[in-house]
Amino acid sequence: MSMIRLEHLVKRFGAFTALKTMDLTIADGEFVALLGPSGCGKSTTMNMIAGMETPSEGRILFGDRDMAGVPMGRRGVGFVFQNYAIFTHMTVRQNLSYGLRATRRPSDEVVRRTNAMAELLQLTPMLDRPAAGLSVNILQRVAIGRSAIMEPAIFLLDEPLSNVDAAFRAVMRTELKGLQRSFKQTMVYVTHDQLEAMTMADRIAVMDHGVLQQVGTPLQIYNDPANLFVARFIGSPGMNLLHGRPTEVAGSMAIDLGALGYSLPLAPEQAAAARKANGDVVFGFRPEQAARVSEGQGMAMPISFVERIGARTILHLGDGAASAKTVFENDAGFEMGRALHFAPHPSAVRLFDAASGAALRGQ
Amino acid sequence: MKDESARLGFRLTLPAQVLVLFISVFPLLMQAYISLTDWSPLSGQSWPQAWQFWNSFANYSDLLGDGRLWAALGRTAFVMAVCVPIEFMLGLGLATLFMDDFKGKRVFYSILIMPMMVVPAVAGYMFFMLFQSGGPVNDILAMFTGSPVTIAWLSDPNLALVAVMVADIWQWTPLMFLILLAGLVGVPEDQVRAATLLGANPLQRFTSIVLPRMKTIIGIALAIRVIECFKIFDTLFIMTGGGPGVATETISVYIYKIATQDLIWGYVAAIALAILIVLSVVCVWALKRMARVRA
Amino acid sequence: MAEIAFRNVTKRYGATLAVDDASFTVADNEFFCFFGPPLSGKSTILRLILGLEKPDSGEILIDGKAVNEVSPAARNIAMVFQNLALFPHMTAADNVRFPLVERREAPAKIEARLKDAAEKLHIGHILHKMPGQLSGGERQRVAIARALVRDPAAYLMDDPISALDARLREETRVELKRIQREAGRTLIYVTHDQEEAMSVADRMAILEDGAIRQIGRPVEIYDHPSTTYVARFLGSPVMNILPVQATGAGFEAAAGALQVAAGAQAGVAELGLRPEDLRVSVWEGGAGVPATVAEVEPLGGYTVVTLTAGAQPLRAMLRGQPDIRVGALVGLGCDPARVMYFGAGGEALPRTGGNSLGGDRQ
Repeated sequence: MSMIRLEHLVKRFGAFTALKTMDLTIADGEFVALLGPSGCGKSTTMNMIAGMETPSEGRILFGDRDMAGVPMGRRGVGFVFQNYAIFTHMTVRQNLSYGLRATRRPSDEVVRRTNAMAELLQLTPMLDRPAAGLSVNILQRVAIGRSAIMEPAIFLLDEPLSNVDAAFRAVMRTELKGLQRSFKQTMVYVTHDQLEAMTMADRIAVMDHGVLQQVGTPLQIYNDPANLFVARFIGSPGMNLLHGRPTEVAGSMAIDLGALGYSLPLAPEQAAAARKANGDVVFGFRPEQAARVSEGQGMAMPISFVERIGARTILHLGDGAASAKTVFENDAGFEMGRALHFAPHPSAVRLFDAASGAALRGQ
Repeated sequence: MKDESARLGFRLTLPAQVLVLFISVFPLLMQAYISLTDWSPLSGQSWPQAWQFWNSFANYSDLLGDGRLWAALGRTAFVMAVCVPIEFMLGLGLATLFMDDFKGKRVFYSILIMPMMVVPAVAGYMFFMLFQSGGPVNDILAMFTGSPVTIAWLSDPNLALVAVMVADIWQWTPLMFLILLAGLVGVPEDQVRAATLLGANPLQRFTSIVLPRMKTIIGIALAIRVIECFKIFDTLFIMTGGGPGVATETISVYIYKIATQDLIWGYVAAIALAILIVLSVVCVWALKRMARVRA
Repeated sequence: MAEIAFRNVTKRYGATLAVDDASFTVADNEFFCFFGPPLSGKSTILRLILGLEKPDSGEILIDGKAVNEVSPAARNIAMVFQNLALFPHMTAADNVRFPLVERREAPAKIEARLKDAAEKLHIGHILHKMPGQLSGGERQRVAIARALVRDPAAYLMDDPISALDARLREETRVELKRIQREAGRTLIYVTHDQEEAMSVADRMAILEDGAIRQIGRPVEIYDHPSTTYVARFLGSPVMNILPVQATGAGFEAAAGALQVAAGAQAGVAELGLRPEDLRVSVWEGGAGVPATVAEVEPLGGYTVVTLTAGAQPLRAMLRGQPDIRVGALVGLGCDPARVMYFGAGGEALPRTGGNSLGGDRQ
């Protein structure tokens, strides 16, 4: 019933194509994040699901029902706006009960369900306070509660945390995730913050320039990015990407990193991928998946900057031509200017076609 | 430091404040003074000597018994009661239409606000012509009835008032439209969308989201028009001159007539002051009420 | 070229205490960061340094000289605002030139400064563009260049990169630090992002309700927070702070579900455990504390696991992508040397070695 299917969805605004074609199926009860930089088409996709925009081409189905021509008020979707769109001239109670009152539910039911929702969201103490002037975390809960009270089968959230202080985002993330658990609705969540998507979503749909780049669980996307864009976009810091050339030395594949004067032997699966390469490749590995090695064993790059953030130390390595970042757990005497000898774990290496940017895979 | 800068600010704005005080307070005082006398420019004395004709509150007690004044007031109130709601509804309807996009929106917009730019005297003359017994209004009516229509709009005591009100509505609906459009544009679109997604129908959206957000601006629009209606004069005067008889004599026309024809300035001053006081009280009350509703 | 100090500075707005008896010294050429929640006094401190506000009491010193009565213009301090405040009708170059043109500097000098700033900030290629045509990061750099050309004694920046995307923020903060080093100026920075604060600051001050709670290098503060407030405020995920009761052998939390063997220490009310210091393993009985997995958040390089031991929720940050499922029973351990102790008022107490985390064995 509350499965969402997007089939060949296209959206043009005049000469500008906001969404080039999108095919995505979101399962009943699933939490899917639409993730991408601003202008990637994620909000356009969401607005079409809600019925605020009409697709230029393609279909949107809820279950088996085509949503074409169904106005937004009749789609049964809950929508949480980026700015929350709280009715500031009303009290919290009036906000929460708005939908029930608009659809003319009996007044005892309105009171009962409003109180229950307030209880669930811990809004009871401020039910009769005017909504204007409440703090963002309360406004967020009011916005969610106001939609949730209608028991929509589908919940859409448009960057609900982007106006929240960084310090507070972690708290709100946990709160949101907990709410999804208690409501068990299908949730589509638009965000540009990969951390939000990673921590909350069952699956992530990464978008860029109106094109869906990859769909998968957070770890699938983190571990096996489909292309260079996803590799760079996911992770904090993003994946290290170095240009190299596959070479075969005595029957075993390696990547020659050229200017770095270093040739990296590959694990069997990556070797198989490298054999498929058509010319140069991009050699990728996660900053967390590199280890210090003794001199001559791996790559060497000068440390250009040391960031220590709590328990993590992020090393910025190299210069403009070839640079990388590594993350270590402790600050074991890293000094700016000194060379760091390091090598990625062979199984953590990912290869991409240098020309197309697509991932090269073994199988 | 705060007191210091406040004091400096006071000193710097003092000349301007004195000027404003002089401009607005002096004429008022002058009027109050004259209103307590029986002075007329024909008396041969200039106004500072008006005390020689002192009659204390006689003008004010005359005013209470002045049937023509009360009739003019009633007529003005009637025009206001009919025109302002019609202008408001028309303006709101048009403004709502203009929130959506449609073909030729810009052209319609220009045409719509044109009446506001017409000099009232010219508008008066236009409607004077339109409502002649051989004029276009009757011609159009004739197209419906099939036989020639020769209604004497401006010389029939009842119809003259109708013609005057039509002209007022024509000229002032655009102002309502503009103010209300500005108000509508200021209503956050996301809130209206949120209400839609929560299942509210257009009427519910309008009454629960749009109207509350426009309360202040509606109040301002109505206040402007009510005050302006009280002063209705130029268009009307050219169309009917307040006639036939006193059939379209509003308060402004009445004051004009007794001031220019009867030249009893002490009495005119008393009427003007009385109206000012009544209007001020009403306005202050309305503004306070509005402020309370918002808070 | 500028050492900036506060001596017992207090500032009130009406009944609100915005800055409460603040004393600190920012050394010359230091990257100093004020970090605190909204309304904790960060922006007021900047306004006091700039001279836009006067303190109610106390002294503000620049290079050892009291400047309480010195006008903002004479203090020669440049400010980069949160909203950047670029002039939209001027090109990037004109924006950068603006402060110099205002002061009627010689054209040759203006151009030399512009060139210098553009080089430092890598904006040479966008100087001809209007602010509206620039990306958030580019606008940011133009705004900093505009502050840079003035050659001030110190820079103040009020959350200058908060409007950028997460990824761009990570890059820009490193850039900022590089620029500060190269420009060789004192930089006082306000942010509400703890990662940013720890990344850029040479030293930082943690604020709470207008009062400075702790000053030090980020690492020092992270490892040795002075109060539970500071401990909670720095670090993500937040430090686990457990209310404990003293027992004969040490402490217990969550009604006995969690036990810490430690040398008796008077006045301990709470224990602090950083999520990354917790060790989680398959529960086999014996060592460690049994705990249930309530939530697993994979971040890729790390995995944040929320656990419950008794009624006590705990968060652990584990390296990599361990195979842990919600509902599983795990054993919880911790390096005893990493446990922090806090008194009833939230104040940190000295660490005592030689303790260990133990389960409730009944």
